[in-house]
Amino acid sequence: MLERSHIQSTGFHNIGPVGARTGFEVRIRQPNYRSSRLSLIEGVDLVIDGVEYPAEQSRIRVGDREYTHAEMAEETVARLYVGTFFTVIVPKEGGLAPGVHHVASSIRFRHPYFPPQFQPVFVRDARHATIILP
Amino acid sequence: MTEILTKRECNALSAFKYGVSLYSYTEDLGTVMSLEDAFDHVAGTGSTGIEILGETSIPTYPEPTSAWLDNWFALLDRYQLEPTNMAAWVDTRITIGRNMSAQEGTAQIAQDLRLAHRLGFKFLRPKFGVIDGDLTPDPIWEPAVERNLDLAQQLDIVILPEIHSPTPIRHPVTDAYIAFIERTGTKNFGLMIDTGIFQDRPLNKWGGGETDEIRKGALSFLNGIKVPVEHLVDVIKYVPFIQAKFHHIDETLHDHHIPWDRIVPMLKKLGYAGYLSSEYEGARDPWVSIEQVRRQHALIRKLEAEYDAAHGGNLHA
Repeated sequence: MLERSHIQSTGFHNIGPVGARTGFEVRIRQPNYRSSRLSLIEGVDLVIDGVEYPAEQSRIRVGDREYTHAEMAEETVARLYVGTFFTVIVPKEGGLAPGVHHVASSIRFRHPYFPPQFQPVFVRDARHATIILP
Repeated sequence: MTEILTKRECNALSAFKYGVSLYSYTEDLGTVMSLEDAFDHVAGTGSTGIEILGETSIPTYPEPTSAWLDNWFALLDRYQLEPTNMAAWVDTRITIGRNMSAQEGTAQIAQDLRLAHRLGFKFLRPKFGVIDGDLTPDPIWEPAVERNLDLAQQLDIVILPEIHSPTPIRHPVTDAYIAFIERTGTKNFGLMIDTGIFQDRPLNKWGGGETDEIRKGALSFLNGIKVPVEHLVDVIKYVPFIQAKFHHIDETLHDHHIPWDRIVPMLKKLGYAGYLSSEYEGARDPWVSIEQVRRQHALIRKLEAEYDAAHGGNLHA
């Protein structure tokens, strides 16, 4: 089973060739009480050590499939299920330094049954997480 | 097995039916609790009914695998629970720029009716998207439901939109649902009361997904809309199922927000004999929900027994 925090310890790592990293990934538990069509997630914004990584620049991987921000917005069939996670793929030349980082996430959930002024709501989490390999 | 026998004895003596919605175990399910764990906790309250959220409990919703179905029916049998209500959603604002058509809404409800029937449920609660702060449902609700009334009748399922805070009983949203029932004459559409409408003290922690923005901008909702329990008289004939929403019950069985000492006698007086399906929506620390649900069952059973004792013994034995 997954950690209670939205941001998961496992899955936080650099991507791309060793010595020429192209970015990093963060694994996030689907924190809503029901599964969500991908189109109801208006984006996942990250802040790592105070540096913002807005949703529009990232990709999301659900299972084996990757989505751009624009593709997510139109995906009305595929779902994020309760008890599962998705991965935010962030481009960043060189990746993140090995060690402990402060990671904050904000998921923009659109609940159509919420009053319009609360569409979307921002579901937030923050914790320390560790990059092991440079 | 001893517990199951005790449970059957309990229910033979009571007018209310007792159940639990798995919504109560939100956040625990998927992190520290399995579906079978949840069945065990529900059965352990002495309940006879279990309520699920279709797209939460079924890992491959809308199409359960045959292995999941086998497990579902095995669990119902092992824990002697009957499926009560399946919660579903009609995500009307399906993308940022586009709303569902009535045809899409019809297809969504039809899909959920068939799924609910397959799993043995008798009620389906579709949660419609809304168009304003009064929670007025998207107008497609009416054609989408009406086009499914024949199917609901064939499958013997009653479709129940919920009357949920901040929408009170005496409100155009409720009136529109009642007008629909009267116009169509259907027996397959009714009202589900969420007892959160009776909340009369403020919440200090909302377990439905509190955010800073909701804390600042939804004060009437968080403070409670305080619907008088007497208003149940207006609608009880349309209400076959109640979600027993609550947020915190302390170790003296005192509920800090929901006035059960007024709700239970009113429901008894009105002859309500349907389910009270627990919906815990308080602090989401691990496993807190298990004990909170048990306290609610102890509290409501106590109030029901007191009412019966004060009115010539148990009228429903």
